Amino acid sequence: MIVRDVIIIGGGSTGCGVARDLALRGISHCLIEKGDFAAGATGACHGLLHSGGRYVVADPTAAEECISENRVLRKIGRKCVEQTGGLFVRLPGDSKKYRDIFLINCDRLGIETEVLSSTRALELVPSLNPLLEEAVRVPDCSIDPFRLCMLNIVSSKARGGEILTHHEVIEIIKERGRCVGVKVKEKTSSSIKEIRGKVIVNASGAWAQRIAMLAGSSLPMTLSKGSLVVTNHRLSNMVINRLRPPSDGDIIVPNEAVCLAGTSSVGVDVPDNLNVSDGEVEVIAREAASMIPEFEDVRLIRTYAGVRALLSSDPCDGRQISRSFKIIDHKNGLFSIIGGKLSTYRLMAEKLCDAVMREFGLKKTCVTAEKPLEGQEELRGYPLSSRLESLKDIVCECELVSRSEVERVIQKINPKHIGDIQHRTRLGMGPCQGGFCSYRAIGIMQETGKISQEESIQILKEFLQRRFKGIKPVLWGDQLREEQLIEYIYLGILSMESY
Amino acid sequence: MNGTYDAVVIGGGMSGLTAAITLCNAGKTVSVISKGDPVCCLSTGCIDVLNGTERPLKGISELPFGHPYGFVAEDLIIEAHEHFLKIVAEGKIPYTGSIHENRQIITPLGTKKTTCLVPKTMEYSEYDGGDYVHVISFKGLKDFYPTYIMMRLENTGCSVFDAGISSTIGIAEQFEDEHFRQTFADWILRQNIPDGKITLPAVLGIRSSLSIYDDLSRRTGRIFFEIPTLPPSLPGIRLFNCLKNALIARGGQLYWGSEIASVEKLGTIIEGVTLKNPGRVARVQGKAFILATGSFISGGLFAGMDTVHETVLDLPVYYPENRKFWFKEDFFSRGHEIEKAGVEVDASFRPMADVAFKNLFLCGSIIARSEVMKYGCGHGLAIATGYAAARSCEGFIK
Repeated sequence: MIVRDVIIIGGGSTGCGVARDLALRGISHCLIEKGDFAAGATGACHGLLHSGGRYVVADPTAAEECISENRVLRKIGRKCVEQTGGLFVRLPGDSKKYRDIFLINCDRLGIETEVLSSTRALELVPSLNPLLEEAVRVPDCSIDPFRLCMLNIVSSKARGGEILTHHEVIEIIKERGRCVGVKVKEKTSSSIKEIRGKVIVNASGAWAQRIAMLAGSSLPMTLSKGSLVVTNHRLSNMVINRLRPPSDGDIIVPNEAVCLAGTSSVGVDVPDNLNVSDGEVEVIAREAASMIPEFEDVRLIRTYAGVRALLSSDPCDGRQISRSFKIIDHKNGLFSIIGGKLSTYRLMAEKLCDAVMREFGLKKTCVTAEKPLEGQEELRGYPLSSRLESLKDIVCECELVSRSEVERVIQKINPKHIGDIQHRTRLGMGPCQGGFCSYRAIGIMQETGKISQEESIQILKEFLQRRFKGIKPVLWGDQLREEQLIEYIYLGILSMESY
Repeated sequence: MNGTYDAVVIGGGMSGLTAAITLCNAGKTVSVISKGDPVCCLSTGCIDVLNGTERPLKGISELPFGHPYGFVAEDLIIEAHEHFLKIVAEGKIPYTGSIHENRQIITPLGTKKTTCLVPKTMEYSEYDGGDYVHVISFKGLKDFYPTYIMMRLENTGCSVFDAGISSTIGIAEQFEDEHFRQTFADWILRQNIPDGKITLPAVLGIRSSLSIYDDLSRRTGRIFFEIPTLPPSLPGIRLFNCLKNALIARGGQLYWGSEIASVEKLGTIIEGVTLKNPGRVARVQGKAFILATGSFISGGLFAGMDTVHETVLDLPVYYPENRKFWFKEDFFSRGHEIEKAGVEVDASFRPMADVAFKNLFLCGSIIARSEVMKYGCGHGLAIATGYAAARSCEGFIK
């Protein structure tokens, strides 16, 4: 049995942020995540570190939180933030009035803006629609959510934090009406562990209702699915937003070698088994193309979707609901946090930990805004030169990931899914989406003896099916062409369906 | 480089080369235009005639109406494959098997793959119960993992050879060298491998696989078989080279690495094509044209967001209408609807009557409703329709 002061449920940005915050305040804790880090909405968002511009007109509270956290993260997380800057572009027909309110509110909240002529905007981002009226420059950034979570975990682990990924909470143990622990099931072996704590933090995002119910409580929340598409290459080096009230498909974010565009906002009942519809893809591609015309025939390599957990119980329009967050004290040792966004994860963690400290009657204050994220020194980023050094050894040709890199991750984290390797190396994130390299990655996993042989085929099958689900909505053009080759490899050459 | 031929074949893959060779055999002057090396080089090199059945010919007779195999009489399908076996034997990559019966070979995943005709280097790739199979791999080879295979076999072992190079093509090139073969054979003998068969990824040479295979068997006294690997695949490359060489030996002209810039037409007749070549433009004229550009992978068809078009002549294409129905949910389902896309032909392999061209013939997977993955009939269909379209074309030229 594991005993810690605080049990954190959820390994998204909030949960990982809470783990770091508690670690720095000297509180012992255990984090439980049913998948890998950032497996929910954290990893399935834009990766946009908001300047606040998007919310400045309709939701000033959220906007204010965004700009202040934007500054903090640029300071403490240099290696996971790319300071791209962002543009809000106004296209012919977009309201001038909205633009005026936008500028006034930005000013009021201290969001730095610069109005750019269309000529100047096109100099900065040549792929923009040449018909644009003007653009407003804001300090939007691109942020790597996987890396962010893992860096937060570094601080936790260094101070004795117990981190259990691929463990699912199956029961919340209550004694005399109070939550005193959880039972968790290890995903692959199905073995059960018991963890005891004084306080339980429910940071499970879209799954928060489910966890609250295990404790006999409930939450005023609603679920909204957001879908995105991934392009084959970077079409812009800056974040591009549409200067109008938030709507579908009006953000384009550069991320490593690609661009992400989205999102949609569709109410859903359950957070699992998300599908991206052809209709959503068409809307996103069309809207993105109005800002960057190349989107009309760019090769889209994949779609994905995440579920936002939003406050309120009115599911009619997810965009009307505040993007700020709320901490709920269930008065039984369980604290839930819902709403919020990746950009404000640290602030959310701070407020939650403040509540936990009050519960404990302790005074220690938060230092996460001042201390840089630990472990950044070791990060190498994405230098092409170092990837080319081991060219002979490359197992993922799209993203230039070498066999030794894959072996290093296998030794270090003992992965049970290809996703665990993907997030740490970018293996399988290029145009073929792991079509060639997943077979190799599992071959290597097998050779190191970390997974059984029967397991390996199951992992490969699951990966290919999940991969196909993400690719199916964008199967036309060259992506369709590539997919037919991948189908030939797994069915025509490897006869995999006969397993 | 301009030229005038009896027949101009567009597309240098299995079906195009089969058609071109067949026309050469009939004494016609032939040229083949190809954008580059074909999808054949990515294939296993095995001839899938019709999988999912033990007797391919019987399976073909039961195919739904409209499948392109239906336009080829059974005896012509047999003749086409006999013709194929003759060409590959001449080209020193003899194939084993009979069109009357399918067989199963071991894949790099250890599964069984159904196919029909296989290169002699894969002749012994059949499971026979508990017989010992020893798997040889090569150090650093990224597309071959013996563990996948060993978990599927009961009685098995494995050794890894360091060839000093880690790509299949690089290792294959090494095997062309006699000294390397001697070193490898000596190494095999030192492994004290139990009685049984020895298998290895398909790396036994690029140009002289047959003599390399025989040489290894002689030096070691063992039975070997190759396992076709992921692309690029040596058996596929050998097959392509063999057909290309057969065509050259028969006087066929190749325009390789050439894309078609424009097509000259007069009424219902295609007169010639202009090639987009670096340097000067070439014009190729012909009495008849054969379109063998394949489906999506090879670029004969291209899918827009909700339309499909044919890339050389912009012929009308049949395809499932709503993109929503192009693919099924299950990746492993074999046979997504989009596979039906292609150009509809009549029994003489000309585009359907409402399409104007009288001197154009089609073969291979560009033909509508081929459904190559669903039926497992890629190379077999290419051979049969390539042969039959050539016959039809020959009748027209006369």
